[in-house]
Amino acid sequence: MSTEVGQGMTVTKTGEQGAFGGELLTINFGPHHPSTHGVLRLIVDLDGEQVRRLKPVIGYLHTGIEKQAEALRWQQAVVVTDRHDYLSPPINNLAYALAVEKLLGVDVPPRAKALRVIMSELTRLASHLVWLGTSGIELGASTMLMYCFRERDTILDMNEEISGFRMHTSYIRPGGVMADATPRFFEMLDRFVRTMPSNIDEYESLLTMNPIFRTRTIGIGRLSAEDAKVLGATGPMLRGSGVEWDLRKAMPYSGYENYDFEIATSDLCDCYGRYLVRIKEMREAVKILRQAMDQLPDGPVNIDDRKVLPPPREELETSMEAVIHHFKLFTEGYTVPPGDVYVAVESGRGENGCYVVSDGTHKPRRVKFRAASFANLQPLEQMAMNHMVADMVAIIGTADAVLGDVDR
Amino acid sequence: MGLEALAESLGQNVLTTTLGKLIGWGRGNSVWPLQFGLACCAIEMIHTATAGVDIARFGSEAMRASPRQADMMIVSRRVSQKMAPILRTIYDQMPEPKWVISMGACASTGGVFNNYALLQGVDKIVPVDVYVPGCPPRPEDLLNALMILQERIKAQGITPRQ
Amino acid sequence: MIPETLTVERGVTAGDAWVTVAPANIHAALSALKDSGFRLLVFLTCVDHLADASREWAGRYEVVYQLRDMETREQLRVRAYVDGDPPHIDSVHDLFPPANWDERETYDMFGIVFDNHPDLTRILMPDDWLGHPLRRDYPVGGEVVEFSEEHERWQTAPDKA
Repeated sequence: MSTEVGQGMTVTKTGEQGAFGGELLTINFGPHHPSTHGVLRLIVDLDGEQVRRLKPVIGYLHTGIEKQAEALRWQQAVVVTDRHDYLSPPINNLAYALAVEKLLGVDVPPRAKALRVIMSELTRLASHLVWLGTSGIELGASTMLMYCFRERDTILDMNEEISGFRMHTSYIRPGGVMADATPRFFEMLDRFVRTMPSNIDEYESLLTMNPIFRTRTIGIGRLSAEDAKVLGATGPMLRGSGVEWDLRKAMPYSGYENYDFEIATSDLCDCYGRYLVRIKEMREAVKILRQAMDQLPDGPVNIDDRKVLPPPREELETSMEAVIHHFKLFTEGYTVPPGDVYVAVESGRGENGCYVVSDGTHKPRRVKFRAASFANLQPLEQMAMNHMVADMVAIIGTADAVLGDVDR
Repeated sequence: MGLEALAESLGQNVLTTTLGKLIGWGRGNSVWPLQFGLACCAIEMIHTATAGVDIARFGSEAMRASPRQADMMIVSRRVSQKMAPILRTIYDQMPEPKWVISMGACASTGGVFNNYALLQGVDKIVPVDVYVPGCPPRPEDLLNALMILQERIKAQGITPRQ
Repeated sequence: MIPETLTVERGVTAGDAWVTVAPANIHAALSALKDSGFRLLVFLTCVDHLADASREWAGRYEVVYQLRDMETREQLRVRAYVDGDPPHIDSVHDLFPPANWDERETYDMFGIVFDNHPDLTRILMPDDWLGHPLRRDYPVGGEVVEFSEEHERWQTAPDKA
């Protein structure tokens, strides 16, 4: 006997007996469920309260971002990259910008690289803060949300100061960054970097030794190092299983080789391990921010190529050539030499890559986003197996899947 | 106490109004939103609920996970073709009277994503009361929308949505 | 490394190494590569080369596998060109478990049929969706934007256009 449950999925009920004498029960979670981090749907076979089978159903936030990018010009497509992994927009921009720059064969000035690192690390902090706040709520620590979003607000204010927009900054573009940072941004950043370590201590004092939190996370959702590698998990999911792999160290981009930081790992392989990894990453991010501020080079923030970036506003008033360049760029865009390229960057949830194919025209032939959450959701069944339903919430929480990233 | 004194003290302590206004006042100041996060705007919606902006000042901090307990649905961001029937089901499950805020450019018009995957405006499937522009809107924008909605609810009286 | 008998072409584009194999050999080639150390499939996708004049293409659909060796940090892109309606290629989910969802997504978006896949169903689009959205002959869709060029064309009666 099999029951059709939609999405081409049939759950076969062969009168299967569970370990507790009852029959297995198929339960549908989501897509509108407060603890599935957005619109994830799970079809779970339960034996009593234990998970015996689990199947994630995705696609409820499919936005057609890759198709949309094909319909936009090279410089316009930056806007849609912001919106797929909506908790780390500048990192998405960075992956796309690096890919296009690699095809164009240009290298951005050192100051632009440093500003990109600053934005990436601020975003990583903001993303981890959302994770910490929402996971806290799911595990019964409602206070976390208030504390974490307080700091996230500060980061969003900085985003606004540097780019004019709170969340989807589109700050990092092929050829450099939108504009140089203002002195006020550095004041805000300085204040933030000075206060953030004590704030992280505050979060830790609420959770790290909290008996309820520890009971609900230690030993829950185990994923061995070997499984994590085989299943393609990246980011804190992989490092939480004790694998020292961070793209910032393994394949440095945007000048990350010049910063001194450690890769956060944990050998616990469970939800608590992933929590520790993220907390450590936040501390390391503050360290990188401090270094980036101290050794920020002077100079331009954009490449000097009028075919890729618009001329500065002052030049438009005096130079006819600048006006022509400006007009051509905004009506026709620029072309990129034919070829394909893949660039991966480390976002808050793992390897966030961009595979770009150009056919030599002014629009991309194909833009594929390698989404970290998409890969990180696949080990979910393995992690949740034989755990209670309530533990499943902790496991989904620490997988930190952003559904916009999964469905794109 | 004489009768005159009683009448005088009542005059100082009793307000008279219509039932419609009283109900509107009560409804308007306790709009419970449905906890229905879709995408980016959901994060700004959480910001609205936290200490910095504090939606509790307007009586809407009680985010309900079940549509049967909610008065207002905040459609936060893009609604895909696959999500649309579910959104409508959830809307149908909410008890009357109910209101909808369409938060963000994607929910209102499709925004930058004018393509096959998205519903080009959530007003195609549910009636929308207030549209909030922005991608995503600031938390203050959402508060402003809530205040506009409150004014409307207060003006509607006993039988909203005639 | 990959045996020469399986490769059709190899090269480097913008610093990325790649190798082309015949679609019939894809499973054997990836299996050989996995044994030689490329144990992580970073992503699997497809590119539609419909009406792409930049060069000659061996087939309309290019299935792309990005592999990585996490010890030596070496990367390799494997391509296979397929044609036909629907195009067929062997599934590699038994070699690389992450390919399971990637292949479903590629099937959903491009209509490439991965033979021997355990559960080749749509993953992102609804089950009853017609067409494969990321093919180049599938329209972007959406609505006509007012005051745009398309809107003008849309408003003009066909006999006047």
